[in-house]
Amino acid sequence: MSKDIESEMRAALRPLAPSEEFSQKLVANVTGRHPAPLEPRRLAPRRRSLAWWLSASLAASVVLVVGVHQHLEQQRLQQSGLEARREVLQALRVTSQKLNLAFEAVKSQSTSLTDDQSGA
Amino acid sequence: MNDDSADHLDQQLQKARRGERAALTLLVQTHQRSVYSLALRMLGTRDLAEDLTQEVFMQMNGNLSAIDSNRHLGFWLRQVTTNRAIDQLRRRARVRMTPLDEETQLFSAEEASDPLLQRHLQALLADLSPPARAVLLLRYQEDLDPLEIARTLEMPLNTVKSHLKRSLESMREKTIGTQPARCEDSPYE
Repeated sequence: MSKDIESEMRAALRPLAPSEEFSQKLVANVTGRHPAPLEPRRLAPRRRSLAWWLSASLAASVVLVVGVHQHLEQQRLQQSGLEARREVLQALRVTSQKLNLAFEAVKSQSTSLTDDQSGA
Repeated sequence: MNDDSADHLDQQLQKARRGERAALTLLVQTHQRSVYSLALRMLGTRDLAEDLTQEVFMQMNGNLSAIDSNRHLGFWLRQVTTNRAIDQLRRRARVRMTPLDEETQLFSAEEASDPLLQRHLQALLADLSPPARAVLLLRYQEDLDPLEIARTLEMPLNTVKSHLKRSLESMREKTIGTQPARCEDSPYE
């Protein structure tokens, strides 16, 4: 390979300059003079976090409301249950008293009948 | 590059490592022709060359602490550029080099004193394997000797010489349309 061909290759393959526009953009990017805008991926965790907290707060509120409602309902039912039991007991007590009276009445009638028979 | 210029660039490198933007700008401007030209002639299109050039300089910016001189920086930039370009070319099963008709704007009027020669040369380079192309560009564009090329591409010296010899023979064959002649006086034998 002759030296002439090598010289021609060097001349033909001498370094080329990039366009001025690209050169300016390259310098700006490498030196950070134009800070790149924050990528959506970097904002995503904060947005997700906020959304998560909003969802969690909403869910907690719903749970609280439902819980309170259920508690009140349970208290109401318990109260009404106690009332019903009290009424039942009252009814039983009344019934018992009446039965006692009836029993006493039957007992006294039965005693007087026995006395009558023994006197006869 | 004379000693004063080399010393000045070494000082700029130290300043760039301390975060001085003006020094970093000077380093980019000093080396961008070499990196861009390697990328352009390896990959064949302006868009790919600009992307690769930007990637290489961004990587450089993050590795300045490991670079101790401007000479080392030049070596590092050539090595990263050629390795990245070879990787890109290998990832593609068949590289579509820009057809000659689309290459009118590949070289600026200022640089391309002979646009036809540049286009023909680009077509010849496109026919070489990526490593052979890198060897040829480092030899004739960057003016490195075979030993420096071997260090840059981390390949044996004899492989470098073999690439140079076969590439030149192949290019000459395609250029003059004759059988490859034995290179009796080749410096790479």
